[in-house]
Amino acid sequence: MTMELRARPKEVMRAVEAFQEFAREQKMSEKLAHGLALALEECGSNIVNHALKGDARRKFRISIERQGAQMVIELRDKGPAFDPLAFNASPSRHEDEEGGWGIQIVRRFTDAVSYRREGRENVLRLMKLIGEFPGPASNL
Amino acid sequence: MPLEIQIQKGASPSNSATATIKLIGSLDTSTSAELESQLGKVLKEPVKEIMFDLAQLKFISSAGLRVFAGVRKQLKERGGQASFIHLQPQIQEVFDIIKSLPGVAIFKDMAEMDRYLAARQKAHQDQI
Repeated sequence: MTMELRARPKEVMRAVEAFQEFAREQKMSEKLAHGLALALEECGSNIVNHALKGDARRKFRISIERQGAQMVIELRDKGPAFDPLAFNASPSRHEDEEGGWGIQIVRRFTDAVSYRREGRENVLRLMKLIGEFPGPASNL
Repeated sequence: MPLEIQIQKGASPSNSATATIKLIGSLDTSTSAELESQLGKVLKEPVKEIMFDLAQLKFISSAGLRVFAGVRKQLKERGGQASFIHLQPQIQEVFDIIKSLPGVAIFKDMAEMDRYLAARQKAHQDQI
């Protein structure tokens, strides 16, 4: 499933709801689907608010796909090159430095996450194994 | 999923400077601005304690956490604080990851919170 979305928060949540529906169809556990939905919300809102500066005329794309035992979400935008994984966020950061919370959430609720610049596009890929497979997130 | 915000001022009989805010639905990138706006109105009054009842909150992202952090900061400046009650497991999990709201209190139920507020009020009266 691929969705083209305008750079608006409501569009991000439209993608989250589409993912949740797809996850139900794929019989992904509610707990895992909730976590991946949260990671999608964080990445989508980062694109809207930062890469595309909330300009609703601009668009970005989200693809959601099951690949065997994996659920894979890919986000593509034409904003300035930005690798969110390079952002050094840790729980020990000062309480007022809230910018790193989103990436902490993404890492916690995915099994792997990767970033690449492809032409003029940022490509962020999230992967979650379908089933209870504990382990920290790593780069694809 | 939308967010319903129910605000009750002076909810605690022991403290009229308390507001209870019940959140129902999803606190996310598209709904956090509305909560921020509603909280702005509440904070124009001399409220010192805000209790968020999250029993029916299904989803929270960092956008929501940032709103909580903002209100916590404002309450702290006036000698008050924010507290949270009835966190569902998926909400608790996000709070646990962040561990980002030092100075806030999280309670499992109203009884626990009432005991805490009574103790705070007694400590305050003892200082006077």
